[in-house]
Amino acid sequence: MLYQIRHVTRFDYAEPVAFARNNLRLKPILWSGQQLEDHALIIEPQGRVFPARAEAGLANVVRLVVEQSARTLSIESRARVRVDRPVPMPDASDPVLADIARWARESRDASPAGPAAYLFPSPRIPLDRDIAAWCAADLDPERGVLDAALALALRIQREFAFDPAATLVDTPPREAFRKRGGVCQDFAQIMISGLRAAGLPAAYASGYIRTLPPPGKPRLVGADATHAWVLVWAGPALGWVGVDPTNGIWMAGDHIVVAIGRDYADVAPIDGIVLGWGAQQMRVSVDVEPLEQVPA
Amino acid sequence: MASGAATSLFDAATIADRWIADYCAHVDAGDVLCARRRDPEWAALLEELAALSGEALGTARERAQRHAEDIGTGFRIVDEGEERPWPLSPVPLLIEKAEWDGIAAGIVQRAGLLEAVLQDLYGESRLVADGHVPAALVGGSPFFLRPLAHLAPPGGHHLQFVAADLCRGPSGEWSVLADHLRAPAGAGYALENRLAMARTLGDLQSRLNIERHAPFFAAFREGLAAACRRAEPRIALLTPGRLNPSYAEQAHLARYLGFLLVEGADLAALDDRLYVRTIAGLKRVDALWHRLDPRLLDPLALDSHSTIGVAGVIDVMAAGELVVANAPGAGLLEAPAFAAFLPRLAEVLTGKPLLLPNIATWWCGQDAERTHVLANLDSLVVAPAFGVAPLGLPDGKPALGAALDAPARAALCDDMARRPQDYVGQEVVRLSTMPTVADEALTARPFTLRVFAARGSDGAWVVLPGGFARIGAHPDPRAAVMGEGIWSADVCVHGADPVTPVSLLPPGDTSQLRRNPGTLPSRVADNLFWLGRYLERGEALLGLVRVLLGHSISADTGAALASDTVAGLVRLVVQAGAAPQPNGFRRADLTQLARTALEGEQASVDAINRQARSIGAVSRERLSADMIRLLDAPFPQRGGLLDRAGSLQRRYSALNGLASEHMTRTDAWRFHDIGRRLERAVAAIGFIRTFGRPDATSDDLSTLLDLMDSQISYRQRYLTGMARIPVLDLVTLDPNNPRALAFQVAAISGHLNKLPLLSDDGLAEPQQEHARGIAALLVITNAARLDDALLADVEARLLQLSGAIARRYFLQGAEPLRAAGLVLA
Repeated sequence: MLYQIRHVTRFDYAEPVAFARNNLRLKPILWSGQQLEDHALIIEPQGRVFPARAEAGLANVVRLVVEQSARTLSIESRARVRVDRPVPMPDASDPVLADIARWARESRDASPAGPAAYLFPSPRIPLDRDIAAWCAADLDPERGVLDAALALALRIQREFAFDPAATLVDTPPREAFRKRGGVCQDFAQIMISGLRAAGLPAAYASGYIRTLPPPGKPRLVGADATHAWVLVWAGPALGWVGVDPTNGIWMAGDHIVVAIGRDYADVAPIDGIVLGWGAQQMRVSVDVEPLEQVPA
Repeated sequence: MASGAATSLFDAATIADRWIADYCAHVDAGDVLCARRRDPEWAALLEELAALSGEALGTARERAQRHAEDIGTGFRIVDEGEERPWPLSPVPLLIEKAEWDGIAAGIVQRAGLLEAVLQDLYGESRLVADGHVPAALVGGSPFFLRPLAHLAPPGGHHLQFVAADLCRGPSGEWSVLADHLRAPAGAGYALENRLAMARTLGDLQSRLNIERHAPFFAAFREGLAAACRRAEPRIALLTPGRLNPSYAEQAHLARYLGFLLVEGADLAALDDRLYVRTIAGLKRVDALWHRLDPRLLDPLALDSHSTIGVAGVIDVMAAGELVVANAPGAGLLEAPAFAAFLPRLAEVLTGKPLLLPNIATWWCGQDAERTHVLANLDSLVVAPAFGVAPLGLPDGKPALGAALDAPARAALCDDMARRPQDYVGQEVVRLSTMPTVADEALTARPFTLRVFAARGSDGAWVVLPGGFARIGAHPDPRAAVMGEGIWSADVCVHGADPVTPVSLLPPGDTSQLRRNPGTLPSRVADNLFWLGRYLERGEALLGLVRVLLGHSISADTGAALASDTVAGLVRLVVQAGAAPQPNGFRRADLTQLARTALEGEQASVDAINRQARSIGAVSRERLSADMIRLLDAPFPQRGGLLDRAGSLQRRYSALNGLASEHMTRTDAWRFHDIGRRLERAVAAIGFIRTFGRPDATSDDLSTLLDLMDSQISYRQRYLTGMARIPVLDLVTLDPNNPRALAFQVAAISGHLNKLPLLSDDGLAEPQQEHARGIAALLVITNAARLDDALLADVEARLLQLSGAIARRYFLQGAEPLRAAGLVLA
């Protein structure tokens, strides 16, 4: 499937801001099952965009500097991405969780795609006793990794309410867990926290899912905005496998990965600082349009 | 010295002998004093203490403490709001040169090894690929900063300045408890402890050939300078700010080393260069010695929540244009888990064993090690492997396995089964003891030693001879229960050879190695300007209160003023916001007014002093110790209102005298003086508009002369008594009266002419134009034409001038907003 993506972020400032310096993590990374065919950034007012000299890994980071005074800042990312990713199939021959945990501890892969860094709590996803206990029910050490990952994602989808009013972007996983509600980030964080507490490597993926469902299929939750889900490391043979606890499905042909990290801080589409006074307001719109239909 | 003189040398020797004998009778053999009780150095040290305090050791302790407080390194105990000094023990730790050389060699080897490991782990990661270091050991540390990977540190080194905590075992062997690599603290305390001990113990330092500290700090400075690209680099010490527990230490070190003390807001990263915002525009910074949590250094490359870092600073470093000491990311190796691997890494990387061993450590992320730890839990300490509290040790502190109760033990074993990588086992370290003073007697307490090493100009490591000892509160010698320590002690390395007296720090002085590189950060200028304004504002208010008290309330000090004049005084106090409008002008009303204006909650003399004090606290590195002491002095409590007002007046005069006679004529002083004169000019206009009106009475004019401190000048000049025009001329326009309005404006204009300009086009900058305009207005006026409209105009122009000065020289209040936030679904 070929997707055309349009992701627009617009900041409105109550007072003109003098200077902005931001990270943009908007260009989709190279990742198995997807190819980036075209990407462009359209920024208004025009600033200077240059690649970051120092970056964390599985994200395409550019820095944006706007030196002129402005009341609005609009950042549009246009990408054309071809996605061809099989649906994972749990199998009796899958490695069990105990093996995954041991392999990860013993890993000799220090690269950002290796499992080791994702074994540990990160600033926005601490370990939590209650989340750990709740998730442990699906994470028996002798259970196959894909079977366990999907079971946990499905239980989160079933037992947690999708409720944009319940949480904010900074809400810690513990609080969303207590409320049994939230949005994609909350579900992803809870699942990641639970997997890590069980000694398993889990990463935070940010990206998009298709806006309009194929004929006859329901519309997926999380369209029209950036989406977040979970990657589980399933051993050296299977590698990283994506699972979406918001929709209770695998990451496959409908998901476009933009960036992968330990948590949101590593993948935030836009962050940084603006010099100015007063309030800011942000609006985001995302359009993911399939350019060709898959044969039924 | 009265007690010292009363104790003869013979007595002192006898007392010291008895102290040693009593002490050693009650102490384990491993004690540092008892192990060397025959050494003449310990005897000489204790004799000196006996000569100082006689039998009463508590006196010696108090004296050492007083010197430490005098030197003024406050230390904010974490979780406590107030700054208080870390108690200094009067008994330093003596270490003989040969033993010290062994420690120093071990530290040098260790620093070299840690550098090599960092070079690899932030570079090729061969150690991981070859299986010497598990990838999880790297990924597990919260101080592993992935953005720094494959980024060669400018200057070639990750480490420039390191510290380590050592312990001495019962049989005298030293080992390493912990490494400090991120932002090692404490070198300033070592300096201060030495200074306080030198004051307490006189020339003992020379007699015992005790090694000096100054060469180490000189080497560190030269080493950092040598790492920079420019030959005359500008080096800054980046502080997290005054709320940091060791802010005072940082200010002291910056001053001692001649580094600019800066906060993140003072710096700007532009086009691959780092700059400090100064009164002369942006000035390049070549090296940063930072004292921040390294994750907060850069909100762009690292933690976007940081409000104390500098956006883009890591990119400048990556471009090779900034040396950062230590490189952010060095903290990776502080993780206790690394201690389990260092002996092996020493063999792999250097082919030699560690000269100074670690305390024995097992990382539970490996199956065999975890099995060992679980099997020997009762004889080990279990600790977080990466300094982050794991679920099985919720308070994040090391625990003695044997001391865990059943539920805690079960929780620990349960979590260790799932996340063994979060734990290490460590041997239970027993510390040897050293003497300190408790309950008036020499008492043995366990101690640890913090040592420091820095690269010199050739890149080789130099070790500070000494450091500081931390002494535990109770006799339990197990390191795991000692905690942070409650006393510190100086550490003296003594030898047979006389030490060349290269001390760059004359005793009793706080002179610095180098002068500041002539750069005045805008924030500092701003602070000094406001310090000047607050001090003058307080003094002007105090002047009003004193005139009120002197002439209207206290019957025996002068003739009562006419009620209209009193009303004028009251109006000025009320307009200043220092007190509410009184119900009447009876004596009780005025006393209450004066009391509120002195001690009330808002805009009182006390409140203004508090504002001045808080600015003093953040300007420590620019102000003399005497000035800080006067600013910090508590509000006077003794005597009646008039006594207190008099005591405050003397304090203001002393501060004024220090500023005008003791501050060198730097740009910093100019800003302080501009602040003072601007405030004085504004206050003068208020006084003149109130008491110099065309219908002014002689009481009014006399009060005006009092407030303008010009009574004597007037009487010398005019024998006729009070007349309005001569009074107005004297206090407003006379260019020779240092209290006159015109004099303040001329002084400000003079300062502005001497401050740096942004361009060399010869044109005046806006603040200069403002000042010249006011001066010209006063020059062409004469006292007979001086009316209220003109004074109001001058007042408005002074406020514009203040704004122009702020716009030109100070950081302008642009607050960084986070561009965070995201709609998620």
